[in-house]
Amino acid sequence: MKIIDLLTKIDRRIIYLILFTVVTLPIIFPSVKSVRVMPPVEKLYNAIDNIPEDRALIIDFDYDPQTLPEIEPMAFAILRHAFRKRIKVLALSLYVQPLGLAQNALVSVSEEFNSLATTHEDSIIYGRDYVFLGWQPPPLIPILGMGESIVNVYRTDYYGNRTDTLPLMKQVKNYDHVGLLVSLSSGDPPKWWIEYAQNRFGLQVGAGITAVSASEFYPYLQTGQFSGLMVGMKGAAEYEEQVERELAIKVRRKASESLSSLTYAHVVIIIFILIGNAGYLISRRKAKSSPTSPTGRPR
Amino acid sequence: MKRSFPLLLVLVFGILGIIPFIVPHPYVQNTDEFLRNNLLKILAAFALVLGLGSLLRVHYDKIRRKGQNWEYSWVLIGTFIVTSIIGLFGGVSGTGILPTRIGSFVFDIWTIYFNIEVPLGAAMFALLSFFMASAAYRAFRARSTEATLLLVSAFIVMLGVLPLGNEISPHLPSFAQWIMDVPNVAGQRGILFGVALGMLATALKIILGIERSWLGGGGE
Repeated sequence: MKIIDLLTKIDRRIIYLILFTVVTLPIIFPSVKSVRVMPPVEKLYNAIDNIPEDRALIIDFDYDPQTLPEIEPMAFAILRHAFRKRIKVLALSLYVQPLGLAQNALVSVSEEFNSLATTHEDSIIYGRDYVFLGWQPPPLIPILGMGESIVNVYRTDYYGNRTDTLPLMKQVKNYDHVGLLVSLSSGDPPKWWIEYAQNRFGLQVGAGITAVSASEFYPYLQTGQFSGLMVGMKGAAEYEEQVERELAIKVRRKASESLSSLTYAHVVIIIFILIGNAGYLISRRKAKSSPTSPTGRPR
Repeated sequence: MKRSFPLLLVLVFGILGIIPFIVPHPYVQNTDEFLRNNLLKILAAFALVLGLGSLLRVHYDKIRRKGQNWEYSWVLIGTFIVTSIIGLFGGVSGTGILPTRIGSFVFDIWTIYFNIEVPLGAAMFALLSFFMASAAYRAFRARSTEATLLLVSAFIVMLGVLPLGNEISPHLPSFAQWIMDVPNVAGQRGILFGVALGMLATALKIILGIERSWLGGGGE
């Protein structure tokens, strides 16, 4: 009886403490291990890599502080890939909350490249190499409107500049000049891009999503509606791996560093589930083998 | 009139929303573009004001009635007023007419966002992992064959998506990927078809005025 209690009634504070320990220790002492790049991430990498020179990449930043640790590394890795390959980038958000996070990613990665640049041509210049379009509510307006004219939907960019004066916007007029859109989101936006922009204008769409919502996006990947898919922290780590391996960009890999915490946390959860089930099976076996009362119920 | 006018509006604009997807005529497309880029933007602005007004009214009522946890409504209203004033007059990064710096203490919207909202939001989500671990330990039991199958596939997917899975066996990540690609997609696709048909039916019922619960009034 005592063993059953021990197995099935572990104090939740003990679980919290063990989980806290295994999550924090790898963060304090980070290490990066090589990860195997799975086909969905490889497809996305190739889709971005194969964007023709005369077409742009749109990144839809739709993650918020809650999902920042999972999705922000994806944004950094994609931006590094695009800037290294000199792919033109348009950034936007369908919601207001991610604007600050989007700007942070754009500024950080462009500064990273500019700190190594030796000439004006090498540098990542706002308006020439990338534009931050900002936020235009409700989401349906930019998704459908950009198929006809991007500058009509976003008359000014995030910083208040007239978009029709920016050199990049003279080349990228609508989805005809966009090679791929990647929606980095913790919700439904990747589906909206498929439902409205892809179905109506034939826009190629890729996505970076949280692990918890992964299962509902796989049907779109299987049908080819998504050109590629990054799922959770592992997906971000795979993209970081691919960027480092293929483009020789050696920078801090936040998602890869966090994988140790993720691994140990999952292992702890699995062990606790096994302990709970062991206790449950023992108690069930005992209940079956114990003599029953005249009413048929165990005594 | 109070009920029939909104119903007429929904009928007209519901049909106008469908037509551009099937009629490529420039007249139809231009009308659609006008509706989206002009009318919808104006409506969205009204909706924003309406939403904020509604939020404030709900919390004001809660304070007046002394409802459950009414003290937190003061926090919401207070932070709403403070951040609105800073945002409207101080600018996003402190470039407005309102000073957003006292010595080295900066309090523009940008700083508030990165130093308050981002850590609070992340902390809220991080707490979930602790509850999830505890809940999984208590509730995830192999009570039946189906539950056991679910448990086993969950273990495979959990281990398969981690680097550890590849170290246990190089086949484990591939098997986890197969679970996501095949059985998961089969189930999800069934759900998607059901949801799509349901949405279509509901949309038609709303456009044609059969479904009227969105009008409010307790189903009168």
